[in-house]
Amino acid sequence: MSERSGKKTAATAATVIVCLVLLAASVGPAMVSARPANQIPVESVSADAQPQDPTSEAWDTVPAVGVPMASAPSSVPNASDTSVESLRVQSARTEERLYLRLSWADGTADRNVSGPRRFADALAVQVPVNTSARPPISMGSDRNLVNVWYWSADGTTEELLAGGPGTTTTFEESAVETETTYDDGRWTVVMSRELESSAENRTSFAVENNVDVAFAVWNGSEMERSGRKSVSEWYHFPFGPGPQGPPYESILWTIAGLAIVGVALVTVKAVQKN
Amino acid sequence: MSTDEDTTTEPVDLAEGIDHQVAMVMDLNKCIGCQTCTVACKSLWTEGGGRDYMYWNNVETKPGKGYPRDWEDSGGGWKSSEHNERNPGEIPSQEDYGDAWEFNHEEIMYNGSDQPLRPDSDPEWGPNWDEDRGAGEYPNSYYFYLPRICNHCTHPSCVEACPRKAIYKREEDGIVLIDQERCRGYRYCVEGCPYKKVYYNATQKTSEKCIFCYPRIEGEGPDGETFAPACAEDCPPQLRLVGFLDDEEGPIHKLVNEYEVALPLHPEYQTQPNVYYIPPFAPPQHSEDGESVDVERIPRNYLEELFGERVHDALDTIEKERDKVNRGGESELLDMLTDTNPARKYRLEVFDDD
Repeated sequence: MSERSGKKTAATAATVIVCLVLLAASVGPAMVSARPANQIPVESVSADAQPQDPTSEAWDTVPAVGVPMASAPSSVPNASDTSVESLRVQSARTEERLYLRLSWADGTADRNVSGPRRFADALAVQVPVNTSARPPISMGSDRNLVNVWYWSADGTTEELLAGGPGTTTTFEESAVETETTYDDGRWTVVMSRELESSAENRTSFAVENNVDVAFAVWNGSEMERSGRKSVSEWYHFPFGPGPQGPPYESILWTIAGLAIVGVALVTVKAVQKN
Repeated sequence: MSTDEDTTTEPVDLAEGIDHQVAMVMDLNKCIGCQTCTVACKSLWTEGGGRDYMYWNNVETKPGKGYPRDWEDSGGGWKSSEHNERNPGEIPSQEDYGDAWEFNHEEIMYNGSDQPLRPDSDPEWGPNWDEDRGAGEYPNSYYFYLPRICNHCTHPSCVEACPRKAIYKREEDGIVLIDQERCRGYRYCVEGCPYKKVYYNATQKTSEKCIFCYPRIEGEGPDGETFAPACAEDCPPQLRLVGFLDDEEGPIHKLVNEYEVALPLHPEYQTQPNVYYIPPFAPPQHSEDGESVDVERIPRNYLEELFGERVHDALDTIEKERDKVNRGGESELLDMLTDTNPARKYRLEVFDDD
């Protein structure tokens, strides 16, 4: 092997390796871990695609997160006796609005609350007012309030403000819009609100940080209401810097890439010497 | 018990943070089951708007299942007099309350139908369904009427049950009220009340209850006059006394705390009601040939079930005082129980200057 051709081979190998490293650094995170833990990715969609419609095709390409649900700690009777165990969450945004599509299995659509023992199915989404700090998950605290978007199957949607359990008050006018379907034993609810808000105590999503979000579901036919509910842990919308989640992930992949380059170069050198 | 004026009595036991406590004494010996109190209350507070099935005041026949049906088996109240742990309760079903029936009035009154007047539905239960049924066998059957309102308890388990503190005992007079702005219709108060005197309004989506006619006792009527609750004022035999438990000059305090003849219903629920009952007497049992025999018609153990073991002393005390009067003596107790002067029966302005 001539010296020239050896050099050429080494250069080609190095180029291939560098390309591989770049590819690994960009695709690797997406391939190895779908997304960071407890993240609800927010996909951009066009308003023309009608994302407010739970059956819109716009949702076909939006990734779904399976959120495990468990009984909320509460002092109300039978608080640990809840029935909904998982919630399917999708999120999308247009220029103006943030959309959440929430879907869960419930064998009975409890819309009718005409009797003293009848309770409606319901759903709630909770976000902090101050998105730079994480409030206590049980409906926030008086120092870090939460917004609660509350939908009840009797047809009402409310926007609530809370600073701890038992403290909800309603916003005078709800800015949250809801559309729902019940099909084949599943509720699907799309809730949406404008991304921006300048109103007092109303969460703004026009921010440069991740925004915490948590969920609650009530099964009316099991007489679930108030603190007797299935709830999630805190999740977050990745509104912070970096399209692929937290910055440390890219850094780790870059270090790994550089290590591969180092090893490869040493190997190439060793081959040339021989 | 003492009739001596100079005897000092224990201070009246009021709920923490309460200035005074409204109270009512109902003399069951006077109730004729006419339901005028029920109608007075209904026409004032619970007509329409999702309230049709509610009777904040009801009169039920005892023994009987009552309203709502079998409310005495529906749980609620406290596990002990420590008031630190509640008994779980159940929300009664619509069937147990009974529906507000629609009648064929239109057809009969205006359209010349010769059908009998009857509900359009085919009901199988409703308030007062078992009226006058009672218990026992001829010729010794027995029953009496039991008028019931919210007891405005000193230890209200409904208040404790609410996770939102929407139901509260108001400071000035201990009336238990539901803040309609705070209530979200969870119904923990409905199940937590052992007397089932809180009702869910499915139209308003909040729970509602007897308010002891507080606008009337506050003098909020057209002429600014103070009135007792409508159930009391409208009662034909005037069986109710209304006032404050801590008004030591009034008949309620004397009947409850001095003579101890006015007793709470189901004291074992441990909520300490502020509605008290003079237990009922009935004629003695009859022999088969119609002669009176010296056996009480209403079994004492049944009265004990309703009013606790203090019922024995209460009945004995009244009996003794009756005998005294029958022998030509005087009895402050019977004077109070037979008083017809509204100014003495309704003492609602005694603390107005506080």
